[in-house]
Amino acid sequence: MADRYSFSLTTFSPSGKLVQIEYALNAVNQGVTALGIKATNGIVLATEKKSSSPLIDPPSLSKISLITPDIGMVYAGMGPDYRVLVDKARKVSHTGYKRIYNEYPPTRILVQDVARVVQEATQSGGVRPYGVSLLVAGWDEGVEPEAADMKKDGGDSPAKPAGKTGGILKGGPSLYQVDPSGSYYPWKATAIGKHATSAKTFLEKRYTEGLELEDAIHIALLTLKETIEGEMNGDTIEIGIVGPPADHLLGYEGVEGAQGPRFRKLTKEQIEDYLTNL
Amino acid sequence: MGSPFDINGGACVAMVGKDCVAIACDLRLGMQALTISNNFPKIFNFAPSTYLGLTGLATDVNTVSDLFRYKVNMYRLREERHISPQTLANLVSSSLYEKRFGPFFVSPVLAGINQTTGKPFICGFDSIGCIDFAKDFIVSGTASDQLFGTCEGLWEPDLGAEDLFETISQALLSAVDRDALSGWGAQVYIIEKDKVTQRLLKGRQD
Amino acid sequence: MAASKAIMRGPTIIKAEDDKTRQLNKNTLMAFSGEAGDTVQFAEFVQANVQLYSMRNDTELNPAAVANFVRGELARSLRSRSPYTVNLLLGGIDPTTQTPHLYWIDYLASLASVPYAAHGYAQYYCLSLLDKHHNPNIDLEQGMKLLGMCTDELKRRLPIDYKGVLVKIITKDGVKEVDFDNDKIVRSA
Repeated sequence: MADRYSFSLTTFSPSGKLVQIEYALNAVNQGVTALGIKATNGIVLATEKKSSSPLIDPPSLSKISLITPDIGMVYAGMGPDYRVLVDKARKVSHTGYKRIYNEYPPTRILVQDVARVVQEATQSGGVRPYGVSLLVAGWDEGVEPEAADMKKDGGDSPAKPAGKTGGILKGGPSLYQVDPSGSYYPWKATAIGKHATSAKTFLEKRYTEGLELEDAIHIALLTLKETIEGEMNGDTIEIGIVGPPADHLLGYEGVEGAQGPRFRKLTKEQIEDYLTNL
Repeated sequence: MGSPFDINGGACVAMVGKDCVAIACDLRLGMQALTISNNFPKIFNFAPSTYLGLTGLATDVNTVSDLFRYKVNMYRLREERHISPQTLANLVSSSLYEKRFGPFFVSPVLAGINQTTGKPFICGFDSIGCIDFAKDFIVSGTASDQLFGTCEGLWEPDLGAEDLFETISQALLSAVDRDALSGWGAQVYIIEKDKVTQRLLKGRQD
Repeated sequence: MAASKAIMRGPTIIKAEDDKTRQLNKNTLMAFSGEAGDTVQFAEFVQANVQLYSMRNDTELNPAAVANFVRGELARSLRSRSPYTVNLLLGGIDPTTQTPHLYWIDYLASLASVPYAAHGYAQYYCLSLLDKHHNPNIDLEQGMKLLGMCTDELKRRLPIDYKGVLVKIITKDGVKEVDFDNDKIVRSA
């Protein structure tokens, strides 16, 4: 009986479009805006936390999630679909990587794994596409020797932005967007959701090469301020950053070689500190 | 018939030197006391400075080397980079443990230089993937008892590439001469940061 | 260049004219020994698959590819519920390089590329002869002579009558059976 309905719901229209995916994108474009900015020494993810009722306990809502100690994720679109993807991303980062190599996946590998899950929902029978776009931010250690970077900086070649640019080989921060179709794009800075277009225009104006994490957080808040519908405070804003290893989050100390997570969410107090300096 | 590890015979050893590592194996393939081939290398290359030696049951030497060739090729295509010795070690471990209740009868030895840190790395495994991280040397095969002795006697810290070659070669040749199931020539790899030297040792052919 | 790889076979007592070889494609021949039933079943299975490959792709697999395919199938069978007990010798000419190849494969699916090989009791009688008289540049004529020395030794030392051998040679032109004097009488010393 079940197999009678397990044909794919996502089928081509005569014009060559997959309208189910376009509908999924419409769901994303009605979602709350989320944005990400890559800096030389980290990444910021930010979004508005809209609650439908004043009776909701704000700290219990969470839209930015840790996937691996160095990778975090935010979404625009349907919350329940997002939570499913977070579970699957966390699971695949272990089954598909850590349990095999005893290390966490590089950002691009995780993004590809998540994108595959999303893509499969556009071709499988009996399912609908995910109604979310994701921003995935992560830091990679890289495999090229550190010394090679030093040499480049030492030379009197034209001024290059300091720090790493991301990717598996060089290492450093990378920021990806994943769409309901399963496509993914790397960005320096971008936004998704209801006010993505205006937010991106704003980011284009404010983004500069060689940005530092603190500047990026500042710009993220300014961008959010342009589009936010309610009040801006530590309860209504959510920020996740990829920065230097946060050893204080390890829960222990004195273990040689142990490194704290690079991805962490800012506390209500930390967000309010940034807001007062806006 | 005894243990599957002792049917075909063979020996392998890896050693750490100063900014270099070495890995060597014998070339014999036998069936019990009868020698079938004296050109059966047991060391396989998986990245520019990463080598895996496999001793034990010959069919599993073939199967396991083929399996890791596949896995490492897929890793390189997916990640657009070479696998590091440490990552390969964990891949070997998890792959062998996958067969915990029907293991491959091999004792792998891994040697390489990590291209990011420039540091030498060696380790050994049992047939179900338990890793032995050693700072000095790793031995395996039917001559492993003898190799423990020769390595313990000949190895010293911070040997240069040439001295390391002499040390590992003497350690292996002396050990296999005292083992009826190993020998018939040897293959030695000396791995430095951007150079790998492969040498063939004739050894005793009797 | 003429390739010189003779593959020999010793038949059973039930049948005196058994052919324990199968031609896998134009330039590879496989000889087998082992458990009755398993041998022909396995040989014809790989033969069918190698021929299927040739028909589908209109090209012959080279001996190395065939050997690794056969080994793979035997290795898969080794860890199955009912493994094949088959020992193999696989000889062939690489169609692109025109070089001869010989592979020794045992029932455990150990694969080795060798200059000369044998299976069963023949190993104990023939390998020492081959060790002494084989050289890398041996031609077909010398090879046949050496094969004669091997069969003489088997007649001299083996306590059973193996009903002679059937000899096939593989050259760049393909596989062909050749006459072999099985009636020569060799007495033990």
